[in-house]
Amino acid sequence: MSLLDIQNISKTYRQGEIEVNALTDITLSFDRSEFAALVGPSGSGKTTLLNLIGGLDSASHGKIILADTDLSSLNEQALSKFRLFEIGFIFQAYNLVPVLSALENVELVMVLQNRKASERRERAMHYLKLVGLDDMVDRRPSALSGGQQQRVAVARALAAGPGLVLADEPTANLDSENASALLDIMYRLSQEEKTTFIFSTHDVRVMERAERIINLHDGRITSDASR
Amino acid sequence: MTNHYHLPLSTFIMLAWRNLWRHRRRTIITLTSIALGFGLAVFSIGMQDSGHNSMVKNAINMGDGHITLQHKDYLASPANYRYIANGKKILEDLNQQNIPGKIVPRIALQVLASTANNSVGVLLQGIESTNDPLTPLLKKNIVDGHWLKQGDDRGLIIGAGMARKLKVKIGSKIIIIAGKKGGESESHLGRVRGIFKSGIDELDSYLIISGLNFSQRFLVAEGADAEQKPVTRIAIFLDDEESIPAVKKQLIASNSDATIGVHDWQDMMPQLVQYIVVDDVSAYVMQIFILLVILFGIINTVLMSILERTREFGLLRALGLPRQYLVLLVFIETLLLSLLAVFFGWLVGGSIHLYVASNGIDFSGMIPEGTTFAGTFMDPVIYSELSGARIFQLTTIVFFTTLLSGLYPAIKASRIQPIEALRT
Repeated sequence: MSLLDIQNISKTYRQGEIEVNALTDITLSFDRSEFAALVGPSGSGKTTLLNLIGGLDSASHGKIILADTDLSSLNEQALSKFRLFEIGFIFQAYNLVPVLSALENVELVMVLQNRKASERRERAMHYLKLVGLDDMVDRRPSALSGGQQQRVAVARALAAGPGLVLADEPTANLDSENASALLDIMYRLSQEEKTTFIFSTHDVRVMERAERIINLHDGRITSDASR
Repeated sequence: MTNHYHLPLSTFIMLAWRNLWRHRRRTIITLTSIALGFGLAVFSIGMQDSGHNSMVKNAINMGDGHITLQHKDYLASPANYRYIANGKKILEDLNQQNIPGKIVPRIALQVLASTANNSVGVLLQGIESTNDPLTPLLKKNIVDGHWLKQGDDRGLIIGAGMARKLKVKIGSKIIIIAGKKGGESESHLGRVRGIFKSGIDELDSYLIISGLNFSQRFLVAEGADAEQKPVTRIAIFLDDEESIPAVKKQLIASNSDATIGVHDWQDMMPQLVQYIVVDDVSAYVMQIFILLVILFGIINTVLMSILERTREFGLLRALGLPRQYLVLLVFIETLLLSLLAVFFGWLVGGSIHLYVASNGIDFSGMIPEGTTFAGTFMDPVIYSELSGARIFQLTTIVFFTTLLSGLYPAIKASRIQPIEALRT
């Protein structure tokens, strides 16, 4: 049984009188530990698909079944809760809460999950160590570089224990060295934690690392290839 | 791990507190404006309350006490024949009730004062010349002659304005004429013993003080029995003005004479009460403006802070923070701002109040025409006064105004859609 099933998804926006088909009849399936990239030009529907998978937006047609749950059957409150426990997010920038330290940022989602303080601290420290930031746990985001901030976001996403991590252009603002280090970390963790990573990206560096590349063009899948 | 939401209050408070100080300068400016506005409100209310209290205190001392017993119809329709016939018994009864304060008999009559030069309508106030609280107040203002001596049955004390109108001086004769119920009149001769100048026109130009015995003759002429010591009213000056309602209630309950009414100073001086109410309303209008400034100051601060954090709120919502937690977070930020506002507000307002309460402000130079109204006056030096009730009221108003100002930003934050917020 796959972790994520996307069945005949379409997404239509209205822009005044005009209907825009952002996604048309997308069907995909992802297993555990996949390291996949959604690629395509701007406006091809990558971020829209990622938002639909993350329950941040709703599809016009079709179904998304994640961890045996049909997302369309959940109301807003239930979707929030589902995201909290099942999905990790890494965004392009401004991923962290500025008033919290690296450690507190990683712990925040676990606080919401009602994990015990000792467990939270232990997991947060563990993942911060895995991303190489165990000596910077008390630093606030403003005292971290862009790459370090993204690594904290990775630690936060994984510490919550989700089956799926969605990463929207996570390396867009990073230099080659930082991007490469971040991808190494994410790949290693996807294997160790049995977590599926789905990226939306233009970044060749991400495409080179991804084990599966799904090409989108004008809201349609043009290719889906695994290495 | 349980599969339900949880964010401890301590985390909310920690987040809210740090968010509050994210823009330190803005928060300090907002708090300063609230503190100054609040300080201004505390100062103006303290001065106003003190002014009112001063006027009321003086009105009570110059007038007929905290509680007055008089003929039940006198207030609605004053007439010299509406008197208390058995003053002696009523006074004895009152003295037995151990009321904490001073109980004095008075005879107040509407009369005509006449000399060879002029005649004017006046209020004749018969008092116990040595015992009445009016004595020390007017005695110190004697500018010519002396105060009434005990047993002086013809002596009169008049104001400087009255002396001018009647063209009299110390020792001059004044005929006091009072109309009787049947249409006839009663007149008695008095002599000016002293002239006072209080600065209050209603007293200086309208009041004549005599001993009780002199005034009593007019009541006897109305048919009263002198042996019963008739009076027109009995004034009660309480040691503690807070006890007015209780004593009034006690007196109403114990009053067996259906012709006697029991009134507090508010019944006796409706004009003064009305003045205070109108003055209070104008002050409240000013305070509303101050509160509006505070309200919009905070709305501006919190709203700005929310608009700046739209993306951050979107991120939190995406991570799984429910909408209501976001509302709570913003609300706690406002709550903390409210508590700080009240604290700094009292720091500023309280300091001003304490300074003015101990040093006072002398208004005599600022209001040369005096501060008299409705037969009373405001002391020239005002010491700020704030009752416990006022402190509670001001604290509550500022606290809830501040808190209320967080509602709109909180609602605004709750409407943030993560997908749109993350695009910003």
